Amino acid sequence: MNPLIPLFVMIPLAGAFLIMITGRFAVWFGRYLTTLILTVLAAFSIFSLAVTGENTAVYKVGGWEPLNGIPIGIHMVMDGFSVIVLCIINIVGVLAALYSIPYIKRYTSENYYYSLFCLMIGGMNGVVLSGDIFNIFVFLEVSAISSYALVAFGVEKNELEASFKYQVLGALASFLILLGIALIYWKTKTLNIADIREVFSTGYDRTYYLFVQILLLGGFGLKAAMIPFHAWLPDAHSSAPSPISAMLSGVFIKAVGIYVIIRLFFNMFIVTENISILITVMGTLSMAVGVFLAIGQWDIKRLLAYHSISQMGYVILSTGIGMILIARGKSPEIAALAIAGGLFHLVNHAAFKGLLFFNAGAIEYSTGTRDLQEMGGLAGSMPATHATSFIASMSISGIPPFNGFFSKLIIIIAAIMAGFYLLAALAVVVSIITLASFLKFQRYAFYNKPENKDDKKNKEVPLPMVFSMVIMGILCILLSLLAFPGIRETILEPAINILTDPLKYSSLITGS
Amino acid sequence: MNEFTGIVSGFSVCCMLQLLIGIPVAAGLLLFLVPEKYLNAKGIAALLVNLAVFCLALRLFFSSGLMSAGDGNAISGCIRISAGAVASDASRYIIFGIDNLSRLIVAAAGFFAFIISLYSLVYNKINKVRNFNSWFLITVGCSFGALLSDNLLLFLTFWGILGITLYMLIPGRNEESSAAAKKTLILIGASDSIMIIGIALLWWLTGSLSMNSISVPTDNTPGALAFLTLLAGSFTKAGAFPFHTWVPDYTKDAPASSSSLLPASLDKLLGIYLLARLTRDMFILSQWLTFLLLLTGVITITGAVMMALIQHNYKKLLGYHAVSQVGYMILGFGLGSPIGIAAGLFHMINHAIYKSGLFLAAGSIEKQTGKEDIDDLGGLSGAMPVTFAATLVFSMSISGVPPFNGFASKWMIYQGIIDFGNGPGFVNQLWIVWLGLAVLGSALTLASFIKLTGGIFLSRRKQEFSGIREVPALMWIPMAVLALLCITFGVLATNLIVPKLFTPVSGDFVFTGFWDSTFVSILVLISILLGIVIYLVSGLKRFRREDSFIGGERIQDQAAYPTPEYYKTISEMDFPAWMYDKAGKKWFDIYDLSRRFVLWLSRQFSLAHDGVLSGYALWVFAGLIILLLVMI
Repeated sequence: MNPLIPLFVMIPLAGAFLIMITGRFAVWFGRYLTTLILTVLAAFSIFSLAVTGENTAVYKVGGWEPLNGIPIGIHMVMDGFSVIVLCIINIVGVLAALYSIPYIKRYTSENYYYSLFCLMIGGMNGVVLSGDIFNIFVFLEVSAISSYALVAFGVEKNELEASFKYQVLGALASFLILLGIALIYWKTKTLNIADIREVFSTGYDRTYYLFVQILLLGGFGLKAAMIPFHAWLPDAHSSAPSPISAMLSGVFIKAVGIYVIIRLFFNMFIVTENISILITVMGTLSMAVGVFLAIGQWDIKRLLAYHSISQMGYVILSTGIGMILIARGKSPEIAALAIAGGLFHLVNHAAFKGLLFFNAGAIEYSTGTRDLQEMGGLAGSMPATHATSFIASMSISGIPPFNGFFSKLIIIIAAIMAGFYLLAALAVVVSIITLASFLKFQRYAFYNKPENKDDKKNKEVPLPMVFSMVIMGILCILLSLLAFPGIRETILEPAINILTDPLKYSSLITGS
Repeated sequence: MNEFTGIVSGFSVCCMLQLLIGIPVAAGLLLFLVPEKYLNAKGIAALLVNLAVFCLALRLFFSSGLMSAGDGNAISGCIRISAGAVASDASRYIIFGIDNLSRLIVAAAGFFAFIISLYSLVYNKINKVRNFNSWFLITVGCSFGALLSDNLLLFLTFWGILGITLYMLIPGRNEESSAAAKKTLILIGASDSIMIIGIALLWWLTGSLSMNSISVPTDNTPGALAFLTLLAGSFTKAGAFPFHTWVPDYTKDAPASSSSLLPASLDKLLGIYLLARLTRDMFILSQWLTFLLLLTGVITITGAVMMALIQHNYKKLLGYHAVSQVGYMILGFGLGSPIGIAAGLFHMINHAIYKSGLFLAAGSIEKQTGKEDIDDLGGLSGAMPVTFAATLVFSMSISGVPPFNGFASKWMIYQGIIDFGNGPGFVNQLWIVWLGLAVLGSALTLASFIKLTGGIFLSRRKQEFSGIREVPALMWIPMAVLALLCITFGVLATNLIVPKLFTPVSGDFVFTGFWDSTFVSILVLISILLGIVIYLVSGLKRFRREDSFIGGERIQDQAAYPTPEYYKTISEMDFPAWMYDKAGKKWFDIYDLSRRFVLWLSRQFSLAHDGVLSGYALWVFAGLIILLLVMI
């Protein structure tokens, strides 16, 4: 029993309201309160990661105990999987908050920004911790609506247009999700994830079941920007202020998209072969099409945004392979390897994509442009940005010794072991094109033109921004340790166990 | 075929291996902290580290007593971290091993690292690459890591880091060099990713990741595929057709110290090391794969040397030769016989000696004159005598003129091919093709090096070069050492070098033809001496002196006749003209071909993203409908 569970939601929500009130009188308040809140939450999440392991913790809101093994009331669940995503949210969150301090000074009404930021964090924490499907929806809306506002924060033409598209498609996603939830509630008379599984395991109407699965896959697939539901992402992620882009790309699509998909399809639905194949195909499509869209871009943030689609494709592809193997009921250790690869890549992606958006923001902050063709030779004038962006670029491209190499290695090896040779080959090809497009970024941003050290215009960004980037860069290197046997077992194994063994999850809640 | 002779588990050797990898990497990382203005101090520190590492590598090489202590194939985890369970699990992956092959290549790598860091002490002052010394040392450490790893994943990690250091050792401050850097890392990184497939296939086939214990037949698809994917890694690193295209671009724009460190020596050593591991230990080659190896070998030799013939930029010319020579090594290993393997390894070491020497010479010329084109140079032999003499030795070595080392190894390769012709398979029946093209390549190499030495050092010195002096001693000493090595390796080839260095790796063999390198060298020396005697004794001194003339006319200072012009004829012949035309359009450049395809596909996908919201919403519904149709 971890007493911290409700605090992950309460603190940021309370903070958001406090900032709105006090921010009217003192502008600096929101700035530092947000950083403080996120620091505390990051510390909590690391602590939880350390203590959770195989011990799943359940917090019953209001103390409503299950009645005859049937859960009533709201459950918040912290297990090996959700704690990893919590760590991602809050650690990237604290760095983004720190990064925002100098960055967001260029905009007006800072306290709105910080308030929305806290709301978004609270919503995502809620989604990840929530043990029932309707609360997932509620918290998803909390975070999604604050993200709509944050995307439009620049209130220029582009930002508003992007935000509008994002809202329309986001609303569509919410509609699909809500419809799916309603249909589930109608049949099962319960909203608790573990309980729904219990009901489904006694028998179900196949068509109805599939229809619900597809509705939810479509809805959360929209949130996770899987192809063909990805169209909102490049606009939204590139128009937001850079720390928000980092949050959206590095965290948001994972917490409300990928996390929920994985959670629902492993722990709520019974894994079946045809839906796993569907998920794998969608993952493969996202991975392959996303990268081709990315390499042609000249706007740094659009390039990065398209790569988010492609990299999420890797995660989905790898977990999909795991699902297929589970559904076929053979070679569980390879299924575990595939899921481990997916989860590992999820964590890594948060680190390097967050960092890349920080870098893009730093370049924009310093040079005032996002167009690669207009910059060049920044290696001399922005050494910290250059070094960290190089680390991130090599990570995302899968070059050793950075973290992305190890997760891609595991994914490719798992694909070959499972017998999906073409998928493995495709993953390699996509990885090569990723490398090519990030070397394009490196070349046009940092090389290509003579350096000018005494350039008054292009100088290194303020210290908090550099600090965030350097910490992220160090994370990119340190996370590769997760690949090592020993460390992998202590952190990734509990998450894999909770996914591959659904009884483990449901028994905690229903108490059986 | 699994002959890891003498793998050790003794503590002292283990410790040595760790130091060999750890010292340079740690020193490199530390040097990042030293500001660039203390360049001299950084250079000296790097030199000392390289010296220490070289001594260590030599000690490892000569400690044959330790080697034989190991009992056959016993190999043990060599890393000991006292961190409890974590480390004991990790030691399944972190396994180092050493045998005669890696011992030899480690010693060679240590030597080249030391020589080149000596050269770059002075040279680097003009050609600034940021953090050159750090990246240099990391390169050295990771090369040792790759050479000494037994676990394939560990090997791949070190191997991949070398791609990054290669990228970092080129400055990239203008469009051309940044494009070259990008191309290089894309090709190298791509090959590393492809190698993952091969490693995964091997793991799946054998259940093992240890190079030492794998021996896979290649007559089935997965085995052949695994071999080919790993071969792609080896070819890209070494720079063989069709993955060679980064080498000339890189050498053209990188500083000479970088070119001579990586593409000329360490990358060759590593690429060929992997090739040796693949062909000797890890796979049993089928007839078709042997055919493929020999075919790429001869294509590499002739194609690259044809390209070299028409180059005007001497650094790019050397780059093409760095590709062409790899073909001989591939031929050697493709033969698979002891003499072939010994010849391949011998040629690898020889090539590293003269090619790194040639790049150092190129760097010296560039430093003194600031020119990169052969056309702009000429007549430097008097001004830079040591560089001239060294370049002459290197040129004759690479062209296979006896008694220099290049001849010795090429001769062994020819011997190997002739022996190979006695075999029964269809590949063996084609021996005359392999032999003929190999010899042709050697002849063309000679032609192209006459152009290089002639164009740069001979003919008339131009007015603007009147103030040119020889480079400082710290720069010419490394070249002189390498030139002396060329001669030593050539003269003592059959008596000392091959039996001592290469037969322990390849196994025993006999030469079919008679050739004693020392004896031949003495004959060459005697004939030169005789010539001098005749010159002095008979009154040949009384000849008419005239100023140089061309076509019956005195040469005017303006009327230059650049040596490369003589080579124009070749590009006007039918087949070469066609080839040069297509090469100019980058038909043979795998990088450019795939780039065009990817960008074309990218445009097609982008067309669909027109930014119209209703269209995007339509996709969502279309997607849902498709999902429903498919599933229900």
